[in-house]
Amino acid sequence: MAAPSFLLLFPLGLLSAVRSASLMDPGSMTSSDPSVQAPHLTGCKSREQETFRCWWSPGSFQNLTEPGALQIQYWKKNDLTKEWKECPDYSSSVKNECFFNKNNTVIWIKYCVRLHSESQNKTYDTLCFELQDIVHPDPPVALNWTLLNISRSGLNYDIMASWEPPPSADVSVGWLTLVYEVQYRRRNSSHWKVLEHEFGTQQSIYGLQTGEAYEVRVHCAMRAFNNFGEFSDVIFVHVPEIPNKESTFPVTLVLIFGAVGVAILLMLIIFSQQQRLMVILLPPVPAPKIKGIDPALLKKGKLDELNFILSGAGMGALHSYPPDLYQDVPWVEFIELDADEPEPGEKDNQSSDSQRLLGHNNHHTNHGCFHGLSIPEDDSGRASSYDPELPDQETLMLMAALLSCQPNKVEPCLGNCSHSSTPSLDVLEVPCPGLQAPDLPPEGGERHLVQTQLGGPQSWVNMDFYAQVSDVTPTGGVVLSPGQQVGAPENTPTTEKYKKGKMEGGEEESEEEEDRRTNKLKFQLLVVAPEAGGYTTESSSRQMSTPDPSSPGEVYHTFPPPSAESKPHQEAYLPATTLLGDYQSPYILPDSPPAQFLPPVSDYTVVQDVDFQHSLLLNPPSPQRSPNCSPQPPSKPLPVMPIGYLTPDLLGNLSP
Amino acid sequence: MNMMQVMQSVVWAVLLWPCLVSLGVPLECKDEQGSIILCASISKEKLLDRVIQHAELIYRVSEESCTLFEEMFVPFPMRSQRNQAGYTCATKAFPIPGSKSEIQQISDKWLLHSVLILVQSWIEPLVYLQTTLDRYDDAPDTLLKKTKWVSEKLLSLEQGVVVLIRKMLDDDMLTNSYYEQGVAPYALQPEVLESVLRDYTLLSCFKKDAHKMETFLKLLKCRQTDKYSCFLH
Repeated sequence: MAAPSFLLLFPLGLLSAVRSASLMDPGSMTSSDPSVQAPHLTGCKSREQETFRCWWSPGSFQNLTEPGALQIQYWKKNDLTKEWKECPDYSSSVKNECFFNKNNTVIWIKYCVRLHSESQNKTYDTLCFELQDIVHPDPPVALNWTLLNISRSGLNYDIMASWEPPPSADVSVGWLTLVYEVQYRRRNSSHWKVLEHEFGTQQSIYGLQTGEAYEVRVHCAMRAFNNFGEFSDVIFVHVPEIPNKESTFPVTLVLIFGAVGVAILLMLIIFSQQQRLMVILLPPVPAPKIKGIDPALLKKGKLDELNFILSGAGMGALHSYPPDLYQDVPWVEFIELDADEPEPGEKDNQSSDSQRLLGHNNHHTNHGCFHGLSIPEDDSGRASSYDPELPDQETLMLMAALLSCQPNKVEPCLGNCSHSSTPSLDVLEVPCPGLQAPDLPPEGGERHLVQTQLGGPQSWVNMDFYAQVSDVTPTGGVVLSPGQQVGAPENTPTTEKYKKGKMEGGEEESEEEEDRRTNKLKFQLLVVAPEAGGYTTESSSRQMSTPDPSSPGEVYHTFPPPSAESKPHQEAYLPATTLLGDYQSPYILPDSPPAQFLPPVSDYTVVQDVDFQHSLLLNPPSPQRSPNCSPQPPSKPLPVMPIGYLTPDLLGNLSP
Repeated sequence: MNMMQVMQSVVWAVLLWPCLVSLGVPLECKDEQGSIILCASISKEKLLDRVIQHAELIYRVSEESCTLFEEMFVPFPMRSQRNQAGYTCATKAFPIPGSKSEIQQISDKWLLHSVLILVQSWIEPLVYLQTTLDRYDDAPDTLLKKTKWVSEKLLSLEQGVVVLIRKMLDDDMLTNSYYEQGVAPYALQPEVLESVLRDYTLLSCFKKDAHKMETFLKLLKCRQTDKYSCFLH
């Protein structure tokens, strides 16, 4: 929009060459040769808005240097004739200056001044202006300063600089309204500090330092015009220092001593409390420990020995933990039920193991869901997650524990679990499907450890191994109910049974479970598989996120106990009804358990097999499993031991 | 410098606000004949001071507006007024003396009347300028506010000058506008088709006239205080 206007106006300009008064380079009419400079007007200025002067430069044209070769001509807007008039007064004192006196000066009327050569009839330069725009006032006079105050420290002081307006400027009449600008700097510095000008003819300067020499100057301009005139003379400001060094001396001394004292104190504290500090800063890491077993065995590579020991063959270490110990239900302590589980009645001293289980649900301290380990573990770092307390309780028991666990802490023991044909001690950790957010507190009944003990003799078959999970609390705790007699196997009806109980919001829970199926839920199933010669624990874990809807769900299979034992019948079932939406049945009675199996409680199901997806099959599709699945096949007669356990290694062989 | 000016203008605007009330009151008082209602009156000197403050503020704000407009819309080669031999402000119906000596010889009456005429001549063009500025796409808010403020203050200034005339000259005149003019008097320049340059010219001319008003009023004030010295200079 502006460009076309420019083109429009340019030919309309009255003068051929137009340039600003103080901007563009002169010599616009010359060639590009820098050495040759055409005559040009250098500027026009007024000091007091009553007269003004114009200066020009002849340039490098030799033939124009003589006086009179160039003329200044001007005209005013209000002239009656549009003629260019000659400069009224060429200054005699200053070269190349044209002076317009009062009579020739008007304000608010446009002037145009041009540099003209009469002989050549050529105009070299033109300048148009109005008087008020070219006013550069004279510098103020009588600049002086007075001391305002000195700071208490004697280092800084303030002064008040005052001056008077230039005498040429008619300020009193009001013809000019001036604003002033004060600048000051240190004597040696090259940078002037500019102060915002206040009204009036004085200005205070703060924060000067004693002992330093300062220079102060001031200049003025017409208000709102920003054409500052020349600077006034510089005045020097200096205030000598007041010798007051004693005050500073003690301060620094005190500071130094204080710092040294504090440092010494700190060192003393550190050295005296070294031990405690070390404990606080670097807490010791608990080492794996199983009572009766040399910790060295737990290290890598000592699998066989450990297996041997734990299997009970070498009864030395475990001898102190006879199965009778089960009577005392030390293992029950590993089972931690959700604190919300109100099963106080269950905690009575019933002979039922499940009761004991329930009764000890709060004793255990949770160390978080740790990965169930089979003793012969050599291929994962699960040893580190061993609960130090666990080794104290070595019992054979397989309990279905699924309790809420921190899923993210659980490592699925998928195929990595080494297993041996002999029962091994397993610490099984049943992660719970993450009913809650992963920020579940690690302790407090959210984790349940189930420790199983293998190889137990049949002495503990008399015990009620199984506790029926009657319900699952919203927090994922398992509510156990007293063990029941083995009844007819049922599938679906039993599912409902387990929905009863203190399941607050069980229904919602199931929905929640469904929602959380995709969550990273891990849980391990404790699967008891009959094994010849004893229990083998079989643990399988499966992530909740990966289960197929088509899979039979997190089914817990429980192997029926061996024939003789009716009780030891482990059920491991998740409150899958609540966990999984499509959980078919939390438990399925084994279809093909051998007849010698005492039918377990109708609510319990024996895990028959584990398929490739690590899902527990209650009804295994085919007996041919991995050949290593020796303890597994349902067709295989169950051993005397009520429950066959698959050691993790066995399980590992099962899975492809 | 601009910040200071803006702040001062704000301060003065706040200070001058009661002035508007006081300006209006004497008018009412005089109109009421035989009433015993006491009107708040203001002395001539104070009124003149306030009118001068008004004029100074208006001039300052007009200068800022002109600069703003110049920076935003006017291309650089045409920036300075000094380059423009072409543009001209509309001449007034009466000649205004140019030199200081001439101005100093002007009578009080003439000064006041010329100020009044100037003020009245700019009321409408400023309103017109506001409408044109609104049409600009990227006109800064400050510019619009300033022009709006100026046109408002111009009205107050007119009132004040009228009262001054009445008081100082005992000239009871009607508050009619001496200067009747149509909208956009500065569209007289037929060459300037672009609205940008027209508005720029408008602002520049207004700035100049504001300077005139301020100067006249100050000269007037000088005479009030010290006639002798003022005339001598």
